[in-house]
Amino acid sequence: MSALSTAALASTALEGIGQAFTATSGAQLSLSLAISALLFVIGLVGFMVRRNMIIMFLCTELMFQGAALAMITFARMHMDVSGQVFVIFILTVAAAEAALALGLVVLLHRRRETLSAEVWSDLGEA
Amino acid sequence: MSMIWTSILMPVIGAALVAVSSPRLSKWISLLATLGSLAALTLFAFEFPAWNNGQYHPTEAGPAWLDAAGIRLSVGFDTVSLLLALLTAFLMPLCIIGSYTAITERVKEYYGWFLLLGASIILAFAARDAILFYVGYEFTLVPMTILIAVYGGTERRVAAIKMFLYTFLGSMFMLAAIIYVAWENRVSSGAWTFDIDTLTATAVRLPVSTQYWLFASLMIGFAVKVPLFPLHTWLPLAHDQAPTAGSVILASAMLKLGTYGNYRFALPMAPAGGTELMVVVAVLSIIAIIYASLICWVQTDAKKLIAYSSVAHLGLCMLGLFALNPVGAEGAVFYMVNHGLSTGALFLCIGMFYERYHTKDTDVLGGLARKMPVWASFMVLFTFASIGLPGLNGFIGEFLCLGGTFIAEHDGQSGYPGVLGPRFAVIAGLGLIFAAMYLLILLGKIVWGPLREPHHDSAHTHAAPHASLPTDLNAREILVLTPLAVACIWLGVQPQPMLKAIEPCATRMLANYPDEVRRLKEREAQMAADAADAPNLAQMPQHGGVH
Amino acid sequence: MIADFPIPQAVVAPELAWVGLALLLPLISAVLCTVCAAARLPGKLPAVFTVLALAASFVVILRAYNAYSGPVQVPIFEWMSFAWGEGRFQQFTAPCALYIDSLTLFWMLFVTGLGTLIALYASEYMETEKGAGYARFFFGISIFLFAMSSLVMGDNLVMLYLGWEGVGLASYLLIGFDYQRPAAVAAAKKAFIMNRVGDLGLALGIFMLWANYGTLQYSQLFQAMNAGGQTGVDWDVSLIPFLLMLGAFGKSAQFPLFTWLPDAMEGPTPVSALIHAATMVTAGVFLIARMYPFFALHPEALATVAWIGGGTALLAATIGMAQYDIKRVFAYSTISQLGYMFLGLGVGTTYGACYHTFTHAFFKALLFLTAGAIMHGFAGQLDLRKLSGLRHIPGWRLVSWTMFIGCLWLAAFPYTAAFFSKDAILLKALTSTRWDFVFLGWLGLFTAALTAYYTFRVWFRVCCGPVHFEPAADGHHGDASHDAHGHGNAHKAHEVKGAHAADHGFHPHAPKWAISTVLALLAIGTVAAGFPAYNEAFAHGTNWAQKMIVGSSAAAGAQIVEHAAQHDTSAGDHQAANGPSLGTVLGMDAHTGLLVVGATASIGGILIAAYLHLLSRGSADALRRALMGNVFTRWLPVCMERKWFVDEIYHGLFRLPLWLGSQVLHFGDKHFLDGVLVDGIARVPIAAGKLFRPLYGGALQGYAISMVAGVALVLAWMTWVWLRGFE
Repeated sequence: MSALSTAALASTALEGIGQAFTATSGAQLSLSLAISALLFVIGLVGFMVRRNMIIMFLCTELMFQGAALAMITFARMHMDVSGQVFVIFILTVAAAEAALALGLVVLLHRRRETLSAEVWSDLGEA
Repeated sequence: MSMIWTSILMPVIGAALVAVSSPRLSKWISLLATLGSLAALTLFAFEFPAWNNGQYHPTEAGPAWLDAAGIRLSVGFDTVSLLLALLTAFLMPLCIIGSYTAITERVKEYYGWFLLLGASIILAFAARDAILFYVGYEFTLVPMTILIAVYGGTERRVAAIKMFLYTFLGSMFMLAAIIYVAWENRVSSGAWTFDIDTLTATAVRLPVSTQYWLFASLMIGFAVKVPLFPLHTWLPLAHDQAPTAGSVILASAMLKLGTYGNYRFALPMAPAGGTELMVVVAVLSIIAIIYASLICWVQTDAKKLIAYSSVAHLGLCMLGLFALNPVGAEGAVFYMVNHGLSTGALFLCIGMFYERYHTKDTDVLGGLARKMPVWASFMVLFTFASIGLPGLNGFIGEFLCLGGTFIAEHDGQSGYPGVLGPRFAVIAGLGLIFAAMYLLILLGKIVWGPLREPHHDSAHTHAAPHASLPTDLNAREILVLTPLAVACIWLGVQPQPMLKAIEPCATRMLANYPDEVRRLKEREAQMAADAADAPNLAQMPQHGGVH
Repeated sequence: MIADFPIPQAVVAPELAWVGLALLLPLISAVLCTVCAAARLPGKLPAVFTVLALAASFVVILRAYNAYSGPVQVPIFEWMSFAWGEGRFQQFTAPCALYIDSLTLFWMLFVTGLGTLIALYASEYMETEKGAGYARFFFGISIFLFAMSSLVMGDNLVMLYLGWEGVGLASYLLIGFDYQRPAAVAAAKKAFIMNRVGDLGLALGIFMLWANYGTLQYSQLFQAMNAGGQTGVDWDVSLIPFLLMLGAFGKSAQFPLFTWLPDAMEGPTPVSALIHAATMVTAGVFLIARMYPFFALHPEALATVAWIGGGTALLAATIGMAQYDIKRVFAYSTISQLGYMFLGLGVGTTYGACYHTFTHAFFKALLFLTAGAIMHGFAGQLDLRKLSGLRHIPGWRLVSWTMFIGCLWLAAFPYTAAFFSKDAILLKALTSTRWDFVFLGWLGLFTAALTAYYTFRVWFRVCCGPVHFEPAADGHHGDASHDAHGHGNAHKAHEVKGAHAADHGFHPHAPKWAISTVLALLAIGTVAAGFPAYNEAFAHGTNWAQKMIVGSSAAAGAQIVEHAAQHDTSAGDHQAANGPSLGTVLGMDAHTGLLVVGATASIGGILIAAYLHLLSRGSADALRRALMGNVFTRWLPVCMERKWFVDEIYHGLFRLPLWLGSQVLHFGDKHFLDGVLVDGIARVPIAAGKLFRPLYGGALQGYAISMVAGVALVLAWMTWVWLRGFE
């Protein structure tokens, strides 16, 4: 029951989602864009507000995903697959950046024993 | 053409060699490089066919540099630019020899940059392509700034930066004007080119209002370099802080770039605009003469005094140039060469006593004729050349500039009507009196009078720490000053070959001016007539003027 | 106009180029002196070179005089010449060439002659300066003679200007010869600058002439004047004489440019004799004489010259009466006599002016050289209150009696040469039809009386009376080097009975052969200078001087001027001054009347001087005390002694305002033009940068906020544009 039913449930869900995604309704595309905007804004505000460096990085990832969702939506809107191709790029870049950024965060944490971004303002000009 | 490139590239190669050699060797390398440059130019001058016909030689265009924009590496001289390039090449070895004991640290860099400076100046004079000229013109700022900022006096950083920024800002206007003319040329002929002759021919055909702004823009660029009042304030500071040889080249060669730019670009390209703005420039020149002369009077620093005197002298030179007749133009070109010789020599003289006493303040130092009679003789000679004593070179230029201004009169019986006249000549002539005043005051303090030496503590001796200089001039210093003295006397006694050679160039430069001035007079007369009797408007003949 | 009285046309004569040797020889001697100085050759070699060169120049001039047959133009080489067209006004030509007419030869004869003699005198006078100083001195003398020759012999106005400024240079170098004294340096500077003020006028005059006549060479100018000028400048052609006049007044020390000459006495005495008495200061007279036809361009031009000349003569005489330094007295007398020459030029007698120049050159040089001998021998003492009875001292008799001859001539004692030359000038003035010239003539006679008075004041004080002398205390009367003669010279002087030497160790140093010979020769020359006049007056022969002036531009000019002034065709040969008498003086025939009045003035002045300074010496001081005591007359001696405060007036009127102006301009340039404008513009980017600085606080999130703000702005703008697109 479990494997088959799970598979059946999954395929039904996928089909449903696929149906949802093959739907050409403008409202559904607008909803999708709204979700992507929401993701982006949440990420943006979170970046501006939170002090913990890992959380700040998490928010940048959220912004990435928001942009990716928007890409897919527009790809569906214009029936052009290059949007989806670009999303693969975004995911790759996000992964690389994650590696670098988290590495830096670890080093910075080792320097000052804290994950707060406020202690690092030495490069300012004021 | 290869001779020209030889003379430009020899200092560059010398600079490269200097970078990899020892300080002692670098002096010899740089001397050889500059002598080679001078030799190349002299050889070129001997075979120069265009001495007396005002044409350029060679005339063929050089290899393309940036084909899409029409910029070519074209070089060629006419008499005026050849004379100025020869002046530069003549002064370069003298400066190098004169700097032997003055520079003790970072010697290689000094000579290297100096060589690049010389190459750049000769390139600017030789350029037949406007952008090539601009490159030479602007590149001189780099070595000059470095020379002042590294080897200068106490306020050298400020002086160097001020000079760089001020001059650079002015040249922006000039570049804008040149590009505008090139663009107009492209519009009319379809191709980009920066050849000076082509650009001049295009610019002359532009309407009056355009030429007005063109001239103003070009003038701003050159006026900063000349320097013309009120854009002169960078010069005294730069001269004061620069090392001796730097001052010499600055005064003798770099300032001539400004006046040469007027001769080559501003005046020929925009005759209509030039005639409109002539009075403005002339008034500024006259103010420069009087203003700078009076400021010289109260200066206590010898180098600043000579710097302000440069402003005054070049004001007179500009006045002669803008008198718009061949006499004034002859005087101006002759003056450029003379001023380079006599002022350069004065700076060298000042440098010589500065090396011994480490001060230029005329309040603490004086009466040096007692201890340094040979130096004093040279100083008196060059001062009188600067004053404009007949028999020495300064007189010829000064007399012709004033004369040209005087006869720039309304009826144009000389064939060259102008807008200046006796009033301008009178006020400029007052500058003659003031020049005698401040230069003789300088002599009276430094050369004559009871001996005054600066008070020095036991730890600090007169002689430069690295080499003991004798009290009076040594053979090397006499070697530096003698060619300048001979040149001053020779040009005063035999100016004829040079005068004859400059004349066709002057005529060529002023070719469009008589007509333009006449048109200006007509326009003014018509405006006055319009204002005077409006009802008779219908009866006035229609002028077919395009403008 | 000129065609009625033609100036003889000059013939081009290249074969006479050897006359240019008179120009070249002093130049060669100058170069040789420089070589002597550079090579540090000992001895009197520079003097030898100079004297030989000048003597050779004199011989050349004599040969030229013998070969003279009319005005000639002698080209030598092209100096400045270029042309841009074919027309007369489309070229500028100033060759190195000579214009030799009788005026030139007349001038050059006494210039080179006196130059040689004075150089010989100086060879002994300057002997304490052996070495570089000696060479420098003779370099200056050689340069001076070269420049003076160029001035007189040049064929165009640019060569005249070259000589004009060249003599200024020589004057500067020689006045400031003893350069360690600030007074000498200041005097040299003052002389050069005051001359420069005049030179500006001359330069403007030259430009005017060129603008109007298209040429600067004399022969072409004189012919072109006939064609009339084409005025193409804003200024009227009649300004030319006034501009030229300004130059002449500067060089010849007339009011208002005269204060440099007394100060120039700081130079060594041979310099004062040669330059500031005999030759350089006559350049102004020469200029006006040479360019005389152009002074007809304005009716009042010559009147101005006359007034300035006459006024200056009186002014300088009054100052000279109150000076105690012998050289200063002679300097003021030079200014005064030059005033006479200008008066002569102004009233129309170029013969009188030029002949007076000639005689004056001799006797003034003689007087200065005697003063120099006194200075040389008495360790720089020239105060006439401290010297007395010199003619009784052995070895000084020659000096005293040559000085007597000089003084007699200066006072224009009847039948001396100077009497005749002054007579020529005053005759023309007194018999003129213009009332103001007559007034100036009487003023000139009054000045002559004053001249006689102050001249003999000097002679009676210094050479007569009881023997008394003191050396100069600090030797600051110039020539400080002569202090060395003070002590230990055993000379005949101390054998004089009753000698009152203030310092018993001091013995005056009597002049040796060079000085004595020159003094004697000059005295003979002074007497001989009168022969032309004697020849005419007594032997009814030709007056050589007059013959030289007639036939040159000076005389022709005089004729034009007379014609222009009087507009009458009065008969009688226009033989300048000594023609048939044109009127009466005090009711007598002009010549007799002037003889009487002139003699009265001269002898009267001498007698008053004799009373006040020989017979009762205290009375001069008593007179002065009386004048000072009375409040109404106090101003007279004060002004005379303080030189009418002219120096102070110039300082207040010109130097002080200019100096203040310079300070103001300097301050403005440094702080306003440079500080406010240039540095101010430079501060704008700096301020803008400071404005944006808070954006770069260093906080990461701050950067993020600003980025977001920027994006939001851009989006808002884009939306606004998009929305606008719907309208």
